[in-house]
Amino acid sequence: MIPEIGHLLLIGALVLTFIGGSLPFYDLVLKKSFSQNYIRPLSILISLLVLGSFTCLIYSFLVDDFSVVYVASNSNTALPNYYKFAAAWGAHEGSLVLWILCLSLWLLGYLFSKDSVNDHFSSITFAVMNQVIFAFILFTLFTSNPFERLLPFSPVQGGDLNPSLQDFAFTIHPPLLYLGYSGLALPFSLAIAAMVTKNIDSLWARIARPWSLLSCTFLTLGIGLGSWWAYYELGWGGWWFWDPVENAAFVPWLISIALFHSLIATEKRGVFKNWSLLLSILSFAASLLGTFLVRSGVLTSVHAFALDPERGLFILWIFSYFIFGALFIYIFKNTKTQVKSTYSLRSIEFGFLLNNLLLVVLAISIMFGTIFPLLYEAYTNGKQVSVGPPYFNFLILPFAIGLGLLQGIGLFLGWSDTKDFKFFPRLVIEALTILIVINILLYFLFGSFNTGSLIACFIFSWIVSGNLLDVFIKKRTFNKIKSFLNFRLGAVFAHLGIAFLVLGVGVVSTYSSEKELILSVGDSYDLDSYVFEFEEVTFKQGPNYIADVANLKIKEDGRLIKLSSEKRNYLSTNQVTTEAGIVADLFKDYYVAVGENIQGDTWSFRLQVKPFVRWIWFGALLVAIGTLISSIKHLRKGI
Amino acid sequence: MVIAITLVISALSKNLNLFYSPSELLEGNITPGNIIRAGGMVTSGSIKKSTDSLEVVFSITDFKNSILVTYEGILPDLFSENAGVVVKGFLQEDGSFLAQEVLAKHDENYMPPEVAKILESKE
Repeated sequence: MIPEIGHLLLIGALVLTFIGGSLPFYDLVLKKSFSQNYIRPLSILISLLVLGSFTCLIYSFLVDDFSVVYVASNSNTALPNYYKFAAAWGAHEGSLVLWILCLSLWLLGYLFSKDSVNDHFSSITFAVMNQVIFAFILFTLFTSNPFERLLPFSPVQGGDLNPSLQDFAFTIHPPLLYLGYSGLALPFSLAIAAMVTKNIDSLWARIARPWSLLSCTFLTLGIGLGSWWAYYELGWGGWWFWDPVENAAFVPWLISIALFHSLIATEKRGVFKNWSLLLSILSFAASLLGTFLVRSGVLTSVHAFALDPERGLFILWIFSYFIFGALFIYIFKNTKTQVKSTYSLRSIEFGFLLNNLLLVVLAISIMFGTIFPLLYEAYTNGKQVSVGPPYFNFLILPFAIGLGLLQGIGLFLGWSDTKDFKFFPRLVIEALTILIVINILLYFLFGSFNTGSLIACFIFSWIVSGNLLDVFIKKRTFNKIKSFLNFRLGAVFAHLGIAFLVLGVGVVSTYSSEKELILSVGDSYDLDSYVFEFEEVTFKQGPNYIADVANLKIKEDGRLIKLSSEKRNYLSTNQVTTEAGIVADLFKDYYVAVGENIQGDTWSFRLQVKPFVRWIWFGALLVAIGTLISSIKHLRKGI
Repeated sequence: MVIAITLVISALSKNLNLFYSPSELLEGNITPGNIIRAGGMVTSGSIKKSTDSLEVVFSITDFKNSILVTYEGILPDLFSENAGVVVKGFLQEDGSFLAQEVLAKHDENYMPPEVAKILESKE
């Protein structure tokens, strides 16, 4: 009964979004604006219906209703309740309902913010958002219905949630990521509304800016958590694999950053209007393309859980409708948007231009590398190829350096022109000072230098002096610093976050040590003067698994560090997984993953020391906080 | 723009890994030493593990031909007989494959698309 109600609620939402999506046309036909009075009640109703449907799905999981195909294949009576709850979005069908819920929440958020007034502009935004939601509900109902029943012969036991997904970070990673992905639909809808109502002005930019910032916040958190999850759960100690699905989230992230920077210039100076519109469309296109890549299973990926060309085709239709439709409107909009505005090569406008150029070209290059195997296969008639991680690593370096340089000086540049360049020599001296201090520290920690980390340290020093250190040196008085931070807090946080992230990436990619080997109980191994000793193996009984636990200890400065790695066997599916043992301090992680039992007391191990790896996620967190601060500041201000 | 395209092309040309099935590997058109990828099912009964090192030898098959793979390192948890696997590495002079990386399927429903295609073409 409950699954049917969920199904019906979703159909109800489908009908309402169809009506909502065509509301402005009634205005046109009736030649008066009556739709504006209905958009808020309608969006509340739609959100409630979707929420109700989602709740029904969660309920079916909690009561182990295995007559529902989706529940039967993704849950199990032995699964702890908390994971039953999260299993609702553990696979394709359920995650789509979550996606739709996120979309309707964004719509609700916009309509009840200070930015939204009762006008034609809001109606169009509402209508476009409704069309997006409609398309996704249609997609869900026709290709991936989570409420489908398996009657009359329903199983008594379910297939279980993929064990590597039974994990805290995983349970919140998808909702955050989806909020980010789907959030990009809002700047897109606002851009369409701006074009249709011919309001391509700074007001539109001011409305769109906090929402693109907020999408970026959630994308950052989602990607960061995903990376952290992969690090400790997959047992390889890697934190980024250039996996197609990672790229599918990374590309919209880059474009969303380009977007909110470009919107600043559009809002304050009225420049880059067309470019901001195109970026709004492009960011949603990247989000849809990402969905297509993840959901259609056309690419080899550890994430691609839906291998279904029909779904892929459907998403391509959605993509074509929205993106080509938007571009069509863009081309035929009445272009009187050219503003006579001049800015010099030393202005902040030009800085934003470079920033956007770098971000968008990088995003396109990454997307190109990601879909190249598809193009190649189509072109050579079935020959298969993959693009290795070195492609992406090689490519990102020059862009990272360019963007890093910009972030250091960005806050000093003025509109139209920068008159005073006295900051520059000061910045160089400060950055060099930090650089030397860090490198002395690194030499002290690792006893060597290398180019890779030197570049990362340089970017770090440059950004830190341009965003923080110089403020303290120059402004001196507390009040001046305070007013600067009031004004720039979000930017400072986000830029510093990138600095920490870059430093973490640079150091961990160059100073990590790793060894795969065989150890018997009592053996020890010296990995770069860190001595790992294999103490014993114990047995552990978990709620729905059994595990062999390998206990190790590491001696460090007379201190004993204990850690243990588990080899788990999830009983319902007989799947084996590895839980890595990780002990972290500020500067490094010890990372041990137990391999397999060779014989008796002898096991294989992967031992790793990963310096500064935590700084990557710390940096990502700062970026999320920074974009959140800016977003909230602008949302509270309203228009 | 030109710089970006040059970068992309040069990066791409150095990092493309072509994919082959065991049958294609045996045709002998591949220069030993180039980094490539190969995939198939792990032949049942073919896994031989050393007891004093991490070396493992197994064969992968597309049900027409099979090829011997040597790997030194820890295998993924999901690596097993009759399971799909993709290996990255290079062909040696003796015709066997030296793997630097072994990727096993992610869960029981998932199979690397390349392997799925091999199985399809067999049917």
